[in-house]
Amino acid sequence: MHAFVVDLVSTLSTAGYLFIVSAGLTLVFGAMRVINLAHGSFYMYGAFLVSTIVGASSGARFWLAIPAAAVAVGALGALVEVTVMRRLYRSEHLTQLLATFALLLIFADVGLRIWGTRARTVGNPTPFGGRITLAGATFPSYDIAIIAVAAVVGLALWVMLTRTVFGWKVRAVVSDPEALATTGTNTNLLLTSVFVLGAALAAVAGGVIAPQTSVAPGIDQAIIVTAFIVAVIGGLGSVAGAVLGSVLIAAAETLGARYAPNWASTLIYAVLIVVLAVRPWGLLGAAER
Amino acid sequence: MRNLRADGGPGGLSRSTVARSVAIPVVLIAALLVLGEKLSVNNMLTLEEVLGLAVFAAATNLLLGYGGLVSFGQAAFYGSGAYLIGLSWLHHWMPFWAAFVLTPVAGGVIALLMGLIALRTRRLYFALLTLAFSELFYQLVNVRYSFTKGATGIFSVSMVPASLSMPRTGYYFTVGITCASLLVLWKITVSPFGLMLRATRENRERVEALGVSVYRHQLLAFVISGAFCSLAGALFVVYGQSTYPDLLNWTTSGEPLFMAVIGGMFSFLGPAFGALLYQVGNQYISQHTHDWQLVLGAVLLVVVLFRPDGLAGVLSVRTWRRMWARRGGRRVTPVDGGPPADPAPATAFEATEGAQQ
Amino acid sequence: MTMTRRNRPNKLMIGVTAAVCLTAAACGSSGAKASSSGGSSSGSSGGSTPSGGTVTIGDSTSLSGAIAQLGQTGLQGVELAVDDLNSKGGVLGKTVKVVSADDNATPATGASQVRNMITSNHVSALFGPVSSAVAAAQEQVSNQFSVPMFFYTSNDISLMRGGDNKYAFQFVPNTLMEPNAVADYFAKQATGPIKIATFAPDYSFGHDTVNGFIAALKRLHVNYQLVAQEFPPLGATNINTYLSTIVDAHPDYVFNAQFGNDLVSFTKQASSFGMFQKTKVIAMYDYDALAALGSAVPAGSIGFDRAPFWAMPEVSSFVQEYKAKYNAYPSEWAIMGYTAVQGWAWAAEKAKSFDASKISATLAGATVPTIRGNITIQACDHQAEIPEYVGTISATPDSQYNMRLYNSPVFTAPFSDINPACGASS
Repeated sequence: MHAFVVDLVSTLSTAGYLFIVSAGLTLVFGAMRVINLAHGSFYMYGAFLVSTIVGASSGARFWLAIPAAAVAVGALGALVEVTVMRRLYRSEHLTQLLATFALLLIFADVGLRIWGTRARTVGNPTPFGGRITLAGATFPSYDIAIIAVAAVVGLALWVMLTRTVFGWKVRAVVSDPEALATTGTNTNLLLTSVFVLGAALAAVAGGVIAPQTSVAPGIDQAIIVTAFIVAVIGGLGSVAGAVLGSVLIAAAETLGARYAPNWASTLIYAVLIVVLAVRPWGLLGAAER
Repeated sequence: MRNLRADGGPGGLSRSTVARSVAIPVVLIAALLVLGEKLSVNNMLTLEEVLGLAVFAAATNLLLGYGGLVSFGQAAFYGSGAYLIGLSWLHHWMPFWAAFVLTPVAGGVIALLMGLIALRTRRLYFALLTLAFSELFYQLVNVRYSFTKGATGIFSVSMVPASLSMPRTGYYFTVGITCASLLVLWKITVSPFGLMLRATRENRERVEALGVSVYRHQLLAFVISGAFCSLAGALFVVYGQSTYPDLLNWTTSGEPLFMAVIGGMFSFLGPAFGALLYQVGNQYISQHTHDWQLVLGAVLLVVVLFRPDGLAGVLSVRTWRRMWARRGGRRVTPVDGGPPADPAPATAFEATEGAQQ
Repeated sequence: MTMTRRNRPNKLMIGVTAAVCLTAAACGSSGAKASSSGGSSSGSSGGSTPSGGTVTIGDSTSLSGAIAQLGQTGLQGVELAVDDLNSKGGVLGKTVKVVSADDNATPATGASQVRNMITSNHVSALFGPVSSAVAAAQEQVSNQFSVPMFFYTSNDISLMRGGDNKYAFQFVPNTLMEPNAVADYFAKQATGPIKIATFAPDYSFGHDTVNGFIAALKRLHVNYQLVAQEFPPLGATNINTYLSTIVDAHPDYVFNAQFGNDLVSFTKQASSFGMFQKTKVIAMYDYDALAALGSAVPAGSIGFDRAPFWAMPEVSSFVQEYKAKYNAYPSEWAIMGYTAVQGWAWAAEKAKSFDASKISATLAGATVPTIRGNITIQACDHQAEIPEYVGTISATPDSQYNMRLYNSPVFTAPFSDINPACGASS
């Protein structure tokens, strides 16, 4: 029983931050058919910005640092969208991958210049410094904070996409951008907004995971493959798919660690292979023409 | 160079095509042989590495430029070739030459198994599924360290016969294998199969409407590509006398794609020249600045944003004609006047034209 | 399907012309290089050397990515050593110059970089990378071109034993010395039956280190019980399950073979799990890890460091100099990089030559004066006979450095105690 509780919390908290990071990736893909590898840079910059703002002792300031980092990285995202991404919307996927990989390289070096090479740490924010005991199982209370943030982000995205004009336009721009333009919508502004939102989500994910890990160069490339896998398993462009994908990958990691430690490192790839062998467009993805 | 394969239909080759298809290999092979006498050891070894990568890039481009398939799993074949030789040496399975001859077979078999599943998916899903396969290999080699020597890899000069570990003989051997591989690959691209493969990229639905199995054509291309990538991995062992997990990592899969894009994926020799440019350029940059990521990233960004057809595109007559036409205020064709940001129209143009006849 | 015949002879000519141009360019540049390297493989500066001019050394190491901190600080140590040599008149009367490059932690890149350094920059010595796989690739090149190679960060024992180490020297304790040193220290502290768990990344280094530690405990007759062994994937971010398994086993100590960023992440998460209430960790809490963790370092845990400057009074003037130049305290990699350059310079002066064979013959078995005092180079495998440092992490910040370091005295495991005899191991 208590192993089950630990694994459940671990799965959900891992799924939580994976969801936040891959939701941004999949949202951008859904609106503009671009896969953005520089998403990893936005994630890393988010983590570094939060660590810069709060320092090693975190406290309650952490909860202000997260939106601050999201705004700063969102602004960077706007710059990237206007200068680079806009030229790529009608390109081949390979061109997009290479261009955004180039951005990933550039941001990695700029990051080294700004923050140096030494790892940083961020303390657990108030009031999540301690532990919770539930059904005989003890786990970090910050895990609950991650799950809560992910739930809030997920809910907000759902409301935004299904209940607002902005969300309606985002969905419309995928199916028929010309028709949308005739309604007087500024599609350029719309696409920039979506990209900014995606970048900000990456920064939130980086900030949220910062207290759990070391904030150091290289985390940009470490996260991007996993985020990509989650988004693809769920189906590119589907936010609900990102929820499924992140839970599936997190569960595979957690259960693999428990029951098949010798295969743990290969499991997420095996899951991807099986899912795509059965459903070539991901769990909730639509066939792409 | 594209017209070489465009001309090579089953109906026979024109005289000028024959002349050219003989001239280019002869000039290149002669140059490579002359270089073997002229080059310093360092430059010769650099060229030897480039030649192996040229096979890697050209074999990858069979999928990318001809089949329109972006595979991020090419490292699985490349690394398998290298590890087949490395593990054969480590565990005394078989002599080097036996392992070397087996590498394309092993690469082909792995590609067949991978392709059976991966080719059911398309585009980014295909890219990521192939990536997952190669990461599977990468992780297994790391984790099964008592069998593979793990993260440190296998390093020994005696992994290859003494004659091949000498720089000059190793170089000539690599020149021989590379030229033979490129000729075979070229023959494949101008064969009816190669033309059909190109057609599957240009218009998948139309090919299927003809009753041709796109899946089978792509699978065969995948197997051929896997075999030659694996051979390229074997050439890496001849050059480096080592094998290590990085050869199986997805970043290694990205390199031949880079090379193909830099050199031009719509020409047969483009990727091979891309290998030269990429490798030499990379060395130059990393020797002159610690900020190589910044410089490489900037160069790459400029290339894909402004010259997605690569070096071959820059060198092609059409580019110059188009520039001349622009300056003169008239357009050669409607498609040629389109934005250069997308490589697809240039080739789509040819295919449509072909189909109209 | 018939394809259009579109003859574009001009395009072809451009292609061939380009090929010929590239060929000619390669020939031209290679001619220059071949003549200046004189066909000899030992670079331009072998044999007897008149004073004046410059001599170049090369350092290809990891300057970006996850292990950049190790490479960057090590390179700083090398550069500072060179500054100091030059202020005292250089080596053999020549001013020393450093060329460096980022190997991107890729063996093929590191190997071609040092080859270029040898042939284009005519380096007389090479200084080592971070990754052991890159080190193995560079060692092959150093052999092929007969250039001495000094490792000061990568420390896989197979680099010096089993590999071709004719021109290679090791200025960092090797992978077997470390667990031995920790076990020695631990055996002195441990009383009664002790419950031990191990935690290591699932690859060769992790397993070797854990096995070495357990073997050393057996040899030292420590009364221990192994209650859990966990091997998470390298670079795993989700380690809760592994941590909960360890916490449930209630060990007194966890031996952890992680290092750098992974160790920092482990410590953060283990602390969230409350592991440190009853359990102490034994791990590579070196200066960089302690600095990154700050107050999150678990007091009473056991750390080891290859060269902790604060516990080495002999290097105090070097520390001041380093601090003045880089506005930071030197990592172990900086100290060992500095020492390695001193070893090379001493051998060149002694041999009166930069020739690899002469330097190698001079250094093997020799005793070299360095900032760390006299260091003997073991003749059989070219391993510098340096100790490993082990300590217990203090509960309060050090008054001088304002961060938590080791309680004094720091245990110095003598080389003779922890070195596996030549020929005894893998």
